[in-house]
Amino acid sequence: MQQAVGGSEAAATALGPPAMLRCEGLRKRYGDRLAVDGVSFFIAEHECYGLLGPNGAGKTTTISMLCGLAIPDEGHVTVDGFEGGTLEAKAAVGYVPQDLALYPDLSAVENLTFFGQLYGLSGKELQARIGETLELVGLADRGKDRIGTYSGGMKRRANMAAGLLHRPKLLVLDEPTVGVDPQSRNAILETVGQLGIAVLYTTHYMEEAAKLCDRIGIIDDGHLIAEGTAEALIDAHGGRDKVHLASEGADLHELAAACRELDNIHDVHEVDGNLELSTDHGPAVLSAVVAVATRHGVDLTGVEVRSPNLEDVFLSLTGKELRD
Amino acid sequence: MIRVIALNELRRRLRDRSVLIGCLAAPLLMAAVLGLSFAGSSSAVAVHIGVSGASPELMAAAEQASQLPHGVTVVAMPSQQAVRTAVANGNLDGGVAVLPRQMRLSSLLIPIVDPGATHTPGFDVVTRGTSQLGQEYAESVAAGISSALFADKVPHGPTVDPATVAITTQSVGHSGKVNLNFFAPNIAVVFLFIGSGLGMRSLLMERSAGTLARITAAPLRPTQIVLGKLLAIFVTGLVTVFVIWAVTTFAFGANWGDPLGVLLMCVGATVAMCGIGVFLTSLAKTEQQAFGITLLVGLSLALLGGNLLPSGSLPDAFQVLALGTPNGWALVGFGRLDQLGEPASSVIGPFFVLLAIALVAGGLAMTRVRKMVEP
Repeated sequence: MQQAVGGSEAAATALGPPAMLRCEGLRKRYGDRLAVDGVSFFIAEHECYGLLGPNGAGKTTTISMLCGLAIPDEGHVTVDGFEGGTLEAKAAVGYVPQDLALYPDLSAVENLTFFGQLYGLSGKELQARIGETLELVGLADRGKDRIGTYSGGMKRRANMAAGLLHRPKLLVLDEPTVGVDPQSRNAILETVGQLGIAVLYTTHYMEEAAKLCDRIGIIDDGHLIAEGTAEALIDAHGGRDKVHLASEGADLHELAAACRELDNIHDVHEVDGNLELSTDHGPAVLSAVVAVATRHGVDLTGVEVRSPNLEDVFLSLTGKELRD
Repeated sequence: MIRVIALNELRRRLRDRSVLIGCLAAPLLMAAVLGLSFAGSSSAVAVHIGVSGASPELMAAAEQASQLPHGVTVVAMPSQQAVRTAVANGNLDGGVAVLPRQMRLSSLLIPIVDPGATHTPGFDVVTRGTSQLGQEYAESVAAGISSALFADKVPHGPTVDPATVAITTQSVGHSGKVNLNFFAPNIAVVFLFIGSGLGMRSLLMERSAGTLARITAAPLRPTQIVLGKLLAIFVTGLVTVFVIWAVTTFAFGANWGDPLGVLLMCVGATVAMCGIGVFLTSLAKTEQQAFGITLLVGLSLALLGGNLLPSGSLPDAFQVLALGTPNGWALVGFGRLDQLGEPASSVIGPFFVLLAIALVAGGLAMTRVRKMVEP
């Protein structure tokens, strides 16, 4: 069922570094609901892997099994060569949960001190790490303020700092930008981009996945239904470019018929009183389409060329929108 | 790691002031209320009991046997009628007319074994309905006279020491210090229970806040997490008892007894209450449930164990039930120290019973609480 495109474990292990994370046949059931069903994937060292799927797809359950917070009913996990859930595996993971997991009555420094101590850090090393990490997430000047006084975006960055403090080999970020202002969102994405460690990044924002991740796994209803680079997924499942022609009050039947006669136009149909053309390369056919419209006396009020994206990939693979 | 988790727990509870309120302010307030209620009460008592028909020597012996508290005065009256008139007028709170002609050796025991008896040959205990204290002390004086006379009249057998007999009359009187000595440790035990139960809610709160997931994701064993929380609860519990002990002792003159014994009992009661409180919290799924269970069971155990009402004043069945509760055993231990003035060695038994309760309840709690922090 899973379709791999544009990358494979065989390629990664043969050409690049060994896998930092390996999941094989993960299955988890909560009552009658099968939350994760047979999920397998790997993440190489220094690779950023995106797990893309709508809410309730099984992303958080998968993460819980990777971080030792839930035991798989079937399948197994290895982190840095250690069995998932062991103390060694846990020490190699930096976990950044979806919801803020810090103490609001304590300052960022106090929070980081506590979580750093849980990973065996102490003394000057701990203090140095706290300083570096707060600098990394842009909170160096607010470290002594209580978390409860932070804005939503700052809390998210502090949340991420707690996962980064012990310099994990694998950083697991569960929807880190949900409900975050654009400035903090950019700061988080920038921080993740410069880490240089293995990252598992779950999101339902396709732009983030496309921008940040070396490879993307698409998950829906507990199944990993496709994975590969964003370009490869789009090439394989995204479909063609769409050219949208908008006009007010014009009869579009003749224009639609004329467009069908043009080269490289594969499909034409009316959508809400506008025309939508499918083509292999939108910009290439644009001038010909506008010329035909002019020739038929259609006054175009809008022309838009849209290339396929991961949303289209998801729609193509599942028959539903990513944000459903 | 246990220490790290415990310190973080204490730091957070200090920061949100819950530990200041639960361990310092509330015990201080309660100790002050108890102290003001009981410590000053003995000086406020001014009770006058009239006695007729008794020689000065007999009255002195009766007073010694009764061990009347400070503030209760025994006044010699010329006749039975004078006693009755003075009590009726309110000049006396109660009185005892000794009637030697009606007295029999067998009737001497009645005031001792049945102080409230309606007919006592040889005695006319005069009371006024509105003076409860007057009635109690009049009965106490009658019992004292009986004791003195009985000791003198029994020609054979061992001599009865009036001071020994006086033990039965001691509970009749109301010494404020005695009450404070009794209630202070008992209220501390109730505080301990509620404090430990509510303290363990922290795990439930951390679970809903998401921080428990982050802690669980760290390289720790579940036992370390739970023991860290328990250590923090134990420390705050111990501080609570120490505050009540210190304030009632130094500010209000209470005497909890041998300090070493008190220390043993404080530790024993704290670990037992921690164990049971944590077990009850582990039964709850939400913070609200935990709060409700802790209060309900805490107050029930306090009532059964005699923390709110002396178990001696309850029916026999309740006195047996009291020994099925940690509160009851704490009461036994503290009672030996403060009421009976026994040494620290006398509380070793209750201490180990409390430890056993802590081990059983704590063991059960650990199995349940571990599930909260295990994958």
